[in-house]
Amino acid sequence: MAGQPFKRSIDSVAEIYRFSEDIMAAADIHESVRFPVHLAIEELFVNLVTYNPGAERDILIEVEVANGGVAVTITDHDAAEFDVTKDRSVDTGASLRERKPGGLGLHLIQHMVDTLEYDYRGGRSKIRFSKELETRDV
Amino acid sequence: MFEIDYAESGEIICSGRLDAAQSAKAEAFLGRLDASRTLDFERLEYISSAGLAILLKTQKRLSESGAALKIINVNKHIYDIFRYSGFNAIFEIDTL
Repeated sequence: MAGQPFKRSIDSVAEIYRFSEDIMAAADIHESVRFPVHLAIEELFVNLVTYNPGAERDILIEVEVANGGVAVTITDHDAAEFDVTKDRSVDTGASLRERKPGGLGLHLIQHMVDTLEYDYRGGRSKIRFSKELETRDV
Repeated sequence: MFEIDYAESGEIICSGRLDAAQSAKAEAFLGRLDASRTLDFERLEYISSAGLAILLKTQKRLSESGAALKIINVNKHIYDIFRYSGFNAIFEIDTL
């Protein structure tokens, strides 16, 4: 597993992409896995930054590759409790007039990753998700 | 990096990665549109919910005057995002 701390800023998104892309490219992870992994990392990181901007410590991202799949752990030591595994569905059948911009991040993650876990203890938020390679994608 | 600009044909070419750090650039460009336009996503590699929010906001604003965005050359991964978001029902979309 490789891990790296990232500054609590939206501007860290490009650096996070390079970090996780380098690991997945080196392990020859299929694009059908890489895309949702990048999406889930960005959405979860941006959520932590957006809803807890006053915290000071960096956010740790760890990426592990095995058997064509990827597992990611994101740890924030200064987090407010926010359970990302709760149902965050958006009414995607609503009309254009009814739709409101925003709120799609967790909805997408919950559709696109295979496992999603949340653990909160004493101000430490740990989010872990995984994406496996589906044989039909190869 | 994300880039957005007009092609000579009048279509709007989007390229690179439309992530949370780049969404302000997309919003500044699309916020100036006042008529129907086609977005060409052939060279767009990635989009996250920040980019989706800008597209939805633009489509809602344009629809008030009867205009709309059309999105062409969408790759499989971005189309999956559109499908999970229900965007395939509120945008005209052509895939690669």
